[in-house]
Amino acid sequence: MSASTTALRRRLSTLVAVVGLGALAGCSGVTYADTQLPTTAAPKPASNAPAVTAPTCDNATQSYAPLPSLPSRDQISDAPMRKIIDKGYLTVGVSADTYLFGARNAFTGGIEGFDIDMARAVAKAIFGDANKVQLRVITANDRIPLLKDGEVDMVARNMSMTCGRWNDIAFSAEYYRSGQKVLISKSLVSDDKNAASWGLADLKGKRVCAPTGTTSLTKLQQVPGPVVVTAGTHTGCLVLLQQGKADAITGDDTVLAGLAAQDPNTVITSAKAITVEPYGLGLNKADTYLARYVNRVIADLEADGQWKAIYNRWLAGPLGPAPAPPTPVYGR
Amino acid sequence: MSAPTTNIPVAIPAGGSSRAPGSQPGATGQGGQGARTIAGSIPGARGIAGRLLHGTPGRMRLFGLLGVIAAVLLGAVSANALLASQAAVERAANNTAQVVRAQSIHVDLLRADAVATNAFLVGGLESPDSRARYEGAMARVASGIAKAAAAQPADGNALGVLSERVQTYAALVEQARSNNRLGLPVGAQYLTQASAGLRSDAIPIVEQVVKANEERSQKEFDRSNSSLQLLVGVVSLAGLVAIAVWLARRTHRYLNVSLTSAIGLLLVALFVTATTITGIGRATRDVAQGDFQSAVTLANVTTAANDARANESLTLIKRGSGAANETSWKTDRTTVETDLGRLSDTTLDPLWSDYVASHEKVRSLDNGGRWDEAVKLSTSTATGGAAKTFGDFDVAVTRARDDAGKTTVSSLNGLGGSAPLIAVAVALAALAASWLITRGIGQRIEEYR
Repeated sequence: MSASTTALRRRLSTLVAVVGLGALAGCSGVTYADTQLPTTAAPKPASNAPAVTAPTCDNATQSYAPLPSLPSRDQISDAPMRKIIDKGYLTVGVSADTYLFGARNAFTGGIEGFDIDMARAVAKAIFGDANKVQLRVITANDRIPLLKDGEVDMVARNMSMTCGRWNDIAFSAEYYRSGQKVLISKSLVSDDKNAASWGLADLKGKRVCAPTGTTSLTKLQQVPGPVVVTAGTHTGCLVLLQQGKADAITGDDTVLAGLAAQDPNTVITSAKAITVEPYGLGLNKADTYLARYVNRVIADLEADGQWKAIYNRWLAGPLGPAPAPPTPVYGR
Repeated sequence: MSAPTTNIPVAIPAGGSSRAPGSQPGATGQGGQGARTIAGSIPGARGIAGRLLHGTPGRMRLFGLLGVIAAVLLGAVSANALLASQAAVERAANNTAQVVRAQSIHVDLLRADAVATNAFLVGGLESPDSRARYEGAMARVASGIAKAAAAQPADGNALGVLSERVQTYAALVEQARSNNRLGLPVGAQYLTQASAGLRSDAIPIVEQVVKANEERSQKEFDRSNSSLQLLVGVVSLAGLVAIAVWLARRTHRYLNVSLTSAIGLLLVALFVTATTITGIGRATRDVAQGDFQSAVTLANVTTAANDARANESLTLIKRGSGAANETSWKTDRTTVETDLGRLSDTTLDPLWSDYVASHEKVRSLDNGGRWDEAVKLSTSTATGGAAKTFGDFDVAVTRARDDAGKTTVSSLNGLGGSAPLIAVAVALAALAASWLITRGIGQRIEEYR
């Protein structure tokens, strides 16, 4: 008898418990699923596509013959150039973060450097006013597309004259000669004393950064050994290096000097420059008259000592006093 | 053991025509074939049950018991529905408050970025005022994340990741600042990375938190009208009426005062419950479609406007290569204007138009090659300057949004306040009705004897 009553009691209490829980469920006990994190696409790996073999030629620095003398604005009848004159200012694609060549001065907000002075000299020749220039900040990768689309009249952005680029655009005569070097983090030097003299080929397994769309990147991709890392600009590479995402940066010595000046924990290796980088002002392929005009401006700058003055203003500090200007090659 | 409601000894009905059950009280059936009866498996109990439920009085007892169960069920369901409605409104209020919190984080992140990028335009020496505004916004973000994580544990994981991304952003901005103060161009690169990372890594998480809590609010808004549960009460009531009719037919006495009052009492209780719940449901829907909707819309306006302002600065910082940012600015403008059109508040429209006018002046200056003047206008706090017109709009729209958010939460909190009291009253009424049912049927059983 007692066994049966406890069994009944147990059943009843189970029943009560079930009913009670059911009633409670209405009042409380709402739990929410965890808030989902947005699904992010995996970052694209840096393009390690093998470099397209660059077209070769022996006249990469050869430009158009300069005009015999600078014509006044009214004398110019060339249609593309008239368009610029009517617009009232020259639109120039420049860099805003290549220290010493084209960089934004954080104190004045202005963009200044060697390349900028070249652009202003051209504007001064055309308009008689060095300020009649619209500086448009572009990345290295933007240079050719913007010239082709006519979005900019000229590019003054440490641009190497190459045979491949001559197919798409035109260049002025060479106005500066640079060469590709390597900048490394000083941490590499503390690991290996010889690192201070390493070239690209010695950086086996190290992450080396170069901006997309540059000859430096093309060269880097041809060298076996380094792991290629890319960024939008050289300064982007410096950020990656400071964040520990790159061990070294390759680029033109002038650009690297600007980077080294911003971070005392980096050093440009003593290895010899692996390329010769002749800088020219980029122009639209069709604007041959403008090219001849600009070549006259450059020739005049070099002749009257202004080129040296510009060089000394920006580069005498890190690179020593101005050498002789590069010899222009004409006849294209 | 549950005691029967009436006296246990049961007389054999006078009519006696109905057969006596096979087993006598004393003879304890050994389990046996009686598995059909409710207490079949319990020897002894089966005998008692058989005796209790035998004949018409037995049936009356059974129906009486069912009636009590129906009354209690109705009471329980009604009380539960009332409490559930109130709890749903409360949760809706909490979720809404969380939406407002997350949106504030969203706005403050974009505001901080707008201030940081704009300060960059004027060079290394940012004004103490803009520095203070950046720090204020970031401080509100930090405390907002902590508060939001405490308020909704389900958001904890997402907010943890957000907190990490915000720290990354703040660190990059500080690196940008210190480099900028030294005059190093790498500072601009850090700022660009900070802004891009904020938009690609942090903002989507905030948006996700907002969306999740909006969905939770919506779910609770729907739950607040839990009148579907009351169908059980209606069925119980119908059962009681059926019992009353059966009783009347069986006894040829049409009015049983106790049973009828019980039914009346339960009808009133059910009616009051239903009206209260639909009332709460309707009021909640009004809040959901009214204040809550405008709070959400105003928050969208505020975030889009601050995003626009940051894009204006980034367009200038990129000096002619900011076409993508100007496109984003235009998208933001469309968002702001569409949303403003949905609101009844017309005081915001002229303030926004003022800012659009200054922005367009900034763009035409920059497009005309006069970058320096464009920057001056964009950072100017004088009348007509973009910093001034934007600041005025931002202050006004933020105030409007805060008001709408507070109104939503407080009016939701005000709803359903009387529900627990009514639930208690309904439960008491159900108990009283149970007693009345027992009394009414007991009366008839007595008479039958």
